[in-house]
Amino acid sequence: MLLVALLFVPFATTAAAIFVRRRAAMEAVNLAGFAAVFLVAVALAARVLADGTVSLGNGFFYADSLSALVILLTASVALVCSAYSIGYLRDDQLSGALGDDASGMEQIAQIRMYYTLTPLFVFSMLFMAVANNLGVMWAAMEVTTLASIFLVTFYGKVTSLEAAWKYAIIGGVGLSMALFGTLVAYYAGHRLAGSESLSGLNWSVLVQHAAQLDKTSMRLAFVLILLGYGTKAGLAPMHTWKPDAYGEAPVPSAAILSTALLNCALYCLIRFYILASRCLGAEYPSRLLLLFGLLSMGVSVPFVLVQKNYRRLLAYHTIDHAGIMVTALGLGGALGSLGLMLHMTFHTIAKSLLFLCAGNVSQHFRTDLFSKIKGSVIRAMPLTGVVFLMAMLAIIGMPPFSLFQSEFLILRAAFDGGHVLTGVLFVLFGTGVFTGALLHVGGMILGPGGDTAVAARRPWRDGSVLALAAVLVVIGFWVPAPLFDLIRGAARVVSGQ
Amino acid sequence: MLMMPFLNLQLGDRIVTLMAALVLVLQIAMVTQRWIVLHIRIFAAQSLFLAMIAATIAWFNHAPHLYIAAALTFVVKVILVPILFERLVKRMKIYEQIEPIVNVPISVAIAGGLTLVGYVVAASFYRPDEPGLGHNALAVAISLFLIGFFNMINRRKALTQVLALLSLENGLFLAAISLTYGMPLIVELGIFFDVLVAAMVLGILVYRIRETFESIDVSRLRRLRG
Repeated sequence: MLLVALLFVPFATTAAAIFVRRRAAMEAVNLAGFAAVFLVAVALAARVLADGTVSLGNGFFYADSLSALVILLTASVALVCSAYSIGYLRDDQLSGALGDDASGMEQIAQIRMYYTLTPLFVFSMLFMAVANNLGVMWAAMEVTTLASIFLVTFYGKVTSLEAAWKYAIIGGVGLSMALFGTLVAYYAGHRLAGSESLSGLNWSVLVQHAAQLDKTSMRLAFVLILLGYGTKAGLAPMHTWKPDAYGEAPVPSAAILSTALLNCALYCLIRFYILASRCLGAEYPSRLLLLFGLLSMGVSVPFVLVQKNYRRLLAYHTIDHAGIMVTALGLGGALGSLGLMLHMTFHTIAKSLLFLCAGNVSQHFRTDLFSKIKGSVIRAMPLTGVVFLMAMLAIIGMPPFSLFQSEFLILRAAFDGGHVLTGVLFVLFGTGVFTGALLHVGGMILGPGGDTAVAARRPWRDGSVLALAAVLVVIGFWVPAPLFDLIRGAARVVSGQ
Repeated sequence: MLMMPFLNLQLGDRIVTLMAALVLVLQIAMVTQRWIVLHIRIFAAQSLFLAMIAATIAWFNHAPHLYIAAALTFVVKVILVPILFERLVKRMKIYEQIEPIVNVPISVAIAGGLTLVGYVVAASFYRPDEPGLGHNALAVAISLFLIGFFNMINRRKALTQVLALLSLENGLFLAAISLTYGMPLIVELGIFFDVLVAAMVLGILVYRIRETFESIDVSRLRRLRG
């Protein structure tokens, strides 16, 4: 029942947005829909905590702690962004960012497109997280790309078309590699009993017989999967679409792309990692993961250091964090897996908060470039400025914020496991990103004050930023016990212990 | 009488190999092609042979669900997508020739080299103890994948990149039917749905790029840097 509701609600929200006529009604439907999705996600997490796994339709849908955590994070980000986007799109409509069509018809059409595609986008991510069949999981992942392309072209600018084209083509090639990998994994298990039926590609079935899978095929499959879903996660060197797409999409969509979709891509990767490590032993997949993880961290450093555009800075920052999480997965073991799951949770909160703050700055100053922001953000927008700086400190791993804990855990996993070089590079790249991000964003927020007037209050945007900031602060000191149990459960799924 | 099924399999294998060869030839023809409408028609022909391969394997291996895959390939890739794209070309009034980045003879040589790579990779999957159709088909499938990849890099026009992506997907389909006689049906349905929607979405995107840039030359898309 819960699983059906989880998929039905966002789908119904999409359908409703098509038929509702007024903007206020679209906003209400969207917010109510995502609030309902959030409640269902919480209920699902509770069920998973109580029962271990939930499945439906002969195991067609399947949720364990790992899926429940990804679903919960997706639903939370979607809810916050839904509240935020009400204020954000109203501002866009007033300021003429949606085109200055006199009748307002085109603007309403554009707003409708946003409110139609966003629930569809969320629907496909939730579908992916509960699909047991690896082929169905792939198909849902492809739908996430298709649903979000027109969110990237939302403003219809020359640059947004370019970003969408890169996103579509690079994502398309990546996903076709992932499909090839899925196919080879299917072949690896095709001599097991009952592989002809639909359940032959079910993850829960394959994982039980992982040791009997064909080893040569599994090796090839994992490389293809890593390249394929790694492209969706934005690992270097397949990361080039990321800054463009995040920089051009409307801010709430960029927040969803950089947190929820990243989690989903990593989720797919984790599912195959579990299969591969049980079939081949942990060493082969972990060596590849460490390579791509450290490369992504390393590549993001120079781009963060010389960045001129703060939304692109956040995008390179996400590439860095994708690298951190893939490195944690590669380190594996109980410690690495726990670090990975904690980091995924904390990163989702802090990064979505950063994007929402960046949206406030961008709409107030009408620019995404550091150099064009005259006067300090903290004077013009006290709330946004403070929260922006706080979230930035949190995400670069300053104690007492929670990302310090997860990064420290990952580092410990590296040194405990004897990966000294990995640990050293991890610290080195971390320091580079730390410096660059603090330098740029600190300068922007605290820089020499002009005489800018204090911005008016904006209830929807400020409210959602404040709520998320409260979560970030609280979670730094106290993770609620059920949430921590869920995170630990997910880590156990990954490490298999 | 006992020999009949075996002979049948051999006949099936020959038919599949013949058609796979034609598919490969068409893929290389796509590398050389300069007219966009012809490009679309070659893609349609390639998909037609692919549907026939699926039907042949379904017949000789008694895998009835492959008939559905064959029918879907026919409807989606031989009829719907080419019609959609030809309409798009007419609406956008693209008549100019499309030049590859690497010149044609070298492109063909590279495509030939990639075919060799395909055969080498496919050899590691070859198992003489398993009677089955289409060991050549797998090599062709991997070659299609690689040549499709090369074709994407080698073309500057948006629509040809989309066609290259779709032909790369054709390679995947061929790999699926020759390795495992297709994926489970619901997965196949999902994939076909995705291909159709992707073709439409990319078509709209190509159209908007044409409207905005007055060209579908993607090398002009280079404002976003760093």
